[in-house]
Amino acid sequence: MAQMWITMGPQHPMTHGLWTLRVKVDGETVVDTEAELGYIHRGVEKIAEARDFTQITPYCDRLCYVSAMTWSNSYIYAAEDLLEVEVPERAEYIRLIAAECQRLASHLMWLGAYGPDIGSLTLMTWCMRDREMFLDLLQELGGSRMHYNYPRIGGVKRDLPVGFADRLVAKIRLFEKRIDEYEMLLDESTIWLVRLQGVGYAKAEDMVNAGVSGPNIRAAGVNYDVRWAHPYSVYDQVDWEPAVEKPTSVKGADCYDRYRVRMEEMRQSCRMMLDAIEKIPGGKNTNYANGDAMILAKAPTRAPEGATGFSHYECTRGASQFYIQGGGDGRGKNPYRLSIRSPMFITIPYVAKTMIGYKVADIPAIMGSFDPCIGETDR
Amino acid sequence: MGMRVTLEQSNAAAEDAVKRVDAKFGGAEVVSSVEHHANAHKMAFVRIVSPAQHLQALAKHLRFEVGVNYCSMVTGTHFPEGGADRGWEVVYHLMRQPVKDQAPHTNTIHVAEGLKGDDVPLEFEVVVTLPQTDDPVVPSVQSVWVGADWNEKETWDLVGIRFEGHENMHRVLNPHDSPEGFHPLQKQHKIRYHDFNEMYDDAQGFGRKPTDEGRVK
Repeated sequence: MAQMWITMGPQHPMTHGLWTLRVKVDGETVVDTEAELGYIHRGVEKIAEARDFTQITPYCDRLCYVSAMTWSNSYIYAAEDLLEVEVPERAEYIRLIAAECQRLASHLMWLGAYGPDIGSLTLMTWCMRDREMFLDLLQELGGSRMHYNYPRIGGVKRDLPVGFADRLVAKIRLFEKRIDEYEMLLDESTIWLVRLQGVGYAKAEDMVNAGVSGPNIRAAGVNYDVRWAHPYSVYDQVDWEPAVEKPTSVKGADCYDRYRVRMEEMRQSCRMMLDAIEKIPGGKNTNYANGDAMILAKAPTRAPEGATGFSHYECTRGASQFYIQGGGDGRGKNPYRLSIRSPMFITIPYVAKTMIGYKVADIPAIMGSFDPCIGETDR
Repeated sequence: MGMRVTLEQSNAAAEDAVKRVDAKFGGAEVVSSVEHHANAHKMAFVRIVSPAQHLQALAKHLRFEVGVNYCSMVTGTHFPEGGADRGWEVVYHLMRQPVKDQAPHTNTIHVAEGLKGDDVPLEFEVVVTLPQTDDPVVPSVQSVWVGADWNEKETWDLVGIRFEGHENMHRVLNPHDSPEGFHPLQKQHKIRYHDFNEMYDDAQGFGRKPTDEGRVK
């Protein structure tokens, strides 16, 4: 049969954003693919060169609307490395709780979007319902539902609000039961299993070599996680372990493994937050004033030329990195160059190539299982 | 309880890596050193400054002898006022990760404190400085790490560093029909700073005078 190219995207339910997957098909089988990105390239790296270090944080929020807190945190760690700031421990705990809240919200968004890809529209409504619980918590911290501008260089904007701890614990307790419900809904659904199992195999070493990171690696059977391997924050002081799956084939992990690892990761985030809120220095019900030394350290605003800052951060989709060279603006108030490493920018081309050999109908299942987000991909 | 790689492990791993790079490349203008981050538990990383002509050999050594299996980021920087010797800089961020293929229905649970030798996760920063030129070129490491492929595409697209030997180079973030030679992160392309005055009164910046110019904000 003749082979032909078909174009999926930029407007296609599979893409989860704006990008194009060009697929060469032979009948129903995919024989070649090509990813085209860049539809929403905003030039954040260039904009940052004309902003001082505090002004960059909201731009980093907007890198990914699904996980804004982890992206701004990631930038803040790089800026703190550059400006050599010591962060108070209470602020680190608050950041940890905020980032894990965001991870839950992000994974729920992923699950909610993945459901309709596979044919389960119910899942979308359930996940959106539960995601709202955690967006409410984040709104208490940052003041808005999606883009928080919450972390500051040297700490956080404001302390946990009064009663935050109780609401957090109550919501996590409820959500832990809800994860069981999801699993009953999904793991016992024949359609879900048939669409996910045996599809989209990816091997651990191939993925590492291609630059894939995060939950997708852990699905392939290794508990590699930036949070312990290149440690930051206080993840060593709270109770958790990296979620990890057992791949089902010699060909590596399939879509079902990647779904399982994210479900497990949500459980671990819950466990982590429950422990962190009890161990937080200064007490969970105290509310320090804005700018108090418990939550915000003084930070310089200028970095000399030649100084560099780097952060390696476990975002919800994999390892994000920021690399900053100081000394811009002639006075060191701006970065001379800010470089952002987005996990999805590297992953999407890799995933496009793993689809070769599967059927056209498997493309949404494979692509969705890697959790693409185009906001951070195009920057 | 959570776990993490300790500072001693990271220091030992970084010193070992520096020794191995020096043993191979010592005297070839490749300078490696152990550096520490200012935050994130002050973890150690390896910084290697290399001339462009040794980059590919260095990359292969890192990949196949030192076990660096992950190319995470390639950053190009333009220094139009950096002097004759420093017009461009390319920084590679590489990682060593203890990740191996797993047999079916098994997994590996690393315990951070028990990792030894090449299993200790380690970060590498390879800096290549290029002289002032209109056509900055470094050899491609696409064949060493698959992950370098799109990173190099992006660096060429945005900064204009040419990666010699890179197959299938094309625009990735800029439009495909961008003019040849247009690389927005080069410093001759200025970005205008919208100050408060301007944003407050004229969000589009079409040149109207702010009505409250000169007043104290």
